[in-house]
Amino acid sequence: MATESENLESLVNRRYEHGFITDIETDSLPPGLNEDVVRAISARKHEPPFMLEWRLQAYRQWLEMKEPKWAHVHYPKIDYNEISYFSAPKSDEDRPKSLDEVDPKLLETYDKLGIPLHERARLAGVAVDAVFDSVSVATTFKEKLSEAGVIFCSFSEAVQEYPDLVQKYLGTVVPRRDNFFAALNAAVFSDGSFVYIPKGVRCPMELSTYFRINAANTGQFERTLIIADEGSHVSYLEGCTAPMRDENQLHAAVVELIALKDAEIKYSTVQNWYPGDENGVGGIYNFVTKRGDCRGANSKISWTQVETGSAITWKYPSCLLRGDNSVGEFYSVAVANNMQQADTGTKMIHIGRNTSSTIVSKGISAGRAENAYRGLVRVMPQAHGARNHTQCDSLLIGKQCGAHTFPYMEIKNPSARVEHEATTSKISADQLFYCRQRGLSEEDAVNMIVNGFCKEVFKELPMEFAVEAQALLNVSLEGAVG
Amino acid sequence: MGTRGRERMKQSSLSIDTLREVVRTLPKNGLTPSREAAVAHLDEHGLPTLRDEDWKYTDLSPVVDISNRWLTAGGQQQLPKPPSETIAAITSSIDAAWLVISNGTIDEQSVGALKQKGVEVSRFSDAPSEFVMSRPLADLNAALLQDGLRVRVTESIEKPIGILIVDRAGDSVAVAQSCVEIEVGSGVSADFIEYHASEGDADHYANTVLSIAVGDRADVRHVRIQNRSVRHVQTGRTSITAGREARLRMASYDLGGGLIRNDVDIDISEPGADITFDGLYLAGDGQHIDNHTRVDHRVGPATSSQEYRGILKGNCRCVWNGKAIVHKGADGTDASQANHNLLLSDKAEIDTKPELEIYADEVKCSHGTTVGQLDETALFYLRARGLDKRHATQILTHAFAADIVLRAPVAGVKDAITAIVEARLAELIEADAAADLLS
Repeated sequence: MATESENLESLVNRRYEHGFITDIETDSLPPGLNEDVVRAISARKHEPPFMLEWRLQAYRQWLEMKEPKWAHVHYPKIDYNEISYFSAPKSDEDRPKSLDEVDPKLLETYDKLGIPLHERARLAGVAVDAVFDSVSVATTFKEKLSEAGVIFCSFSEAVQEYPDLVQKYLGTVVPRRDNFFAALNAAVFSDGSFVYIPKGVRCPMELSTYFRINAANTGQFERTLIIADEGSHVSYLEGCTAPMRDENQLHAAVVELIALKDAEIKYSTVQNWYPGDENGVGGIYNFVTKRGDCRGANSKISWTQVETGSAITWKYPSCLLRGDNSVGEFYSVAVANNMQQADTGTKMIHIGRNTSSTIVSKGISAGRAENAYRGLVRVMPQAHGARNHTQCDSLLIGKQCGAHTFPYMEIKNPSARVEHEATTSKISADQLFYCRQRGLSEEDAVNMIVNGFCKEVFKELPMEFAVEAQALLNVSLEGAVG
Repeated sequence: MGTRGRERMKQSSLSIDTLREVVRTLPKNGLTPSREAAVAHLDEHGLPTLRDEDWKYTDLSPVVDISNRWLTAGGQQQLPKPPSETIAAITSSIDAAWLVISNGTIDEQSVGALKQKGVEVSRFSDAPSEFVMSRPLADLNAALLQDGLRVRVTESIEKPIGILIVDRAGDSVAVAQSCVEIEVGSGVSADFIEYHASEGDADHYANTVLSIAVGDRADVRHVRIQNRSVRHVQTGRTSITAGREARLRMASYDLGGGLIRNDVDIDISEPGADITFDGLYLAGDGQHIDNHTRVDHRVGPATSSQEYRGILKGNCRCVWNGKAIVHKGADGTDASQANHNLLLSDKAEIDTKPELEIYADEVKCSHGTTVGQLDETALFYLRARGLDKRHATQILTHAFAADIVLRAPVAGVKDAITAIVEARLAELIEADAAADLLS
């Protein structure tokens, strides 16, 4: 085992591949947060008065709120006045009309990340609304989508073009004062994606956004709003990587999903932001509020996430099952290696009749990482016939890491059937020996075992994402077994 | 007082000044220093509120309210004693050598009567132990405790030792504290029965603290039966330390009580411990029963396993929170938790949370919880064979509870438990049958 350990050690020490900085001039606000900053952001984005008012109220509410302390994570106190709340690539003034007009440096960035935008978009049939720092710079396949009546644009564009839709739905799932980070986001969010699928439309392609944090000391505050009108269907992909920085960066995004009667939203995430180095220096703080509202009968919202990045992840994609017979799903793989800390899970709130939810969570801890599953299943008194099944498994790799489970179940209706199962295990020497004996290297053996452990979740991902996720997982765990 | 203390005080507002005055009136003895330390600690930390994660589902307002009223009235210590028939009814139903604490006062006669070889009983006031910074309710206990009992078992005993904590609420509000420390020597085998009962109409709050130190290779069985009046409030903390290769079998039965909160802490700091603890709670209208358990696996190998079951009927709420912490280096730990609940009415609520915190990798940990109602198919099966709904329900709920009843580790107590569990279940289901007739 000694030589293997050495090999693995070298793999552990491998630097983060996606850690590079693209040198583009950015037009940033100076660090600090006050009402003037909020006004400035709103003004730069030429927002209508209702948006400014909304932001200001959020800011005032945020001032009265306290940073939450209950998560199983530790980090130094964040100085919110040291963050710059707005950063947009210079080219914002005259947006590129097509990919050819896009700053070549930007395209280079995508290339380094392995996202050849045009090729990928054409080959995979994926429309990409790429968010570089905070402002959308390229949107493809718009025409094809507009033929179907689908609106897929940046949030700022939606505020200009479809203010009625924005005003009607913004903040109805995640209210301004929902929590500390959601309130901060509501006050200063810079951009994000907006999707509207009209009645009865099945979105002709999978929608995708690549997020990328670039400028140093820039908090990234994305806001995504997806509305699936009656009988519609959409699958949305979100993926991210970030360049290497020594200072911690805060990311407090908000995602709101609304599924009306008979509508279905599938939201998949691969999150691979910079996790910090092996000593826990640097890395992204990922404090995200994601919530879906199954507003209509027979609606369905499905969250799938593969979380491998970020120094700290604090994220609970949730479903409000309001419509009768509505369905909520949560499939998650969370990997924490080195000094990473993850406190992630979901909330399933059963409100309508005959609602059902499924939770499958796979947590993998390695190195000195802490990985916690925190989930809530609440069955309200009126939610007759609610059904939940939760499966929550942890895999430990190494002796220094931690794996934790905090499942909350609050059941107020006798017809509910709620089950929770959890196991904790490690990659056993027997399993490794078996694989090694059949000629697999230790690394391949670990990958195979881990992929097997995560299979239930990967099969929920769209095809091309699943491949990427699997590769990502292998990279994330390189050298975890010694 | 720190800011944190002040913040909490605003919500829980236990009147510390009145408490301090009442504590001053208690006789000066060996307990005085620990009382003062406890008041100071309580002043700093206050009582927990719903904002504290561990108290999220249990509101201590009744405790604060009863305590404040009692303290303001002067904190009377000499409270009415339960009639001897009440005590005799319990002590005669279970064969044990009984120590009786009624309304916080140790019954001297019962202490004198306990003459078992290898058992020493003493009072805290004779040889006070040093005050250890503790949890808020244990602080309240230490502050107001009249006297505590220390039981040392140095040789294996055949007859169980019974601890009867029995309270009576007379005409006015009352608060009673009791504290028992049990020490079981190396290689000693012993059985314990802890029985809680109360009667009377006035508001009553009982706060109990129990610790059991299980010696190396000792073998201890402990049964706790709580059958208080549904008008009364009780909070209890049981702290257990397990020695090398110690074996402990525990079972807890909660049948009565208006507001009940049990905290069981088990600390495994020596390898080889083997611990099983199970619980059953039956709740009807107006009851709130909260069981919090925590096992600290500090070393391995060691085994801990727990299973709690609940049957909820009427307007009631139960809470179960099981926490297993496997500390760094506790390889060879095997920890399992299970909680199963039957919700039999629209107004019943269960909040359940099995937690695992694991910092070692050579471990086997699992938990499972279920919440549901009686199996329709099983009910149909029984009804198709001629049983009415009530009988069918009875059979199935009995079966659900029986698993835990049969696990009572002290053989001589099984009949008594079966009898009171059956009686309580009959009450719960009877109420249902009456409601069925009306509807």
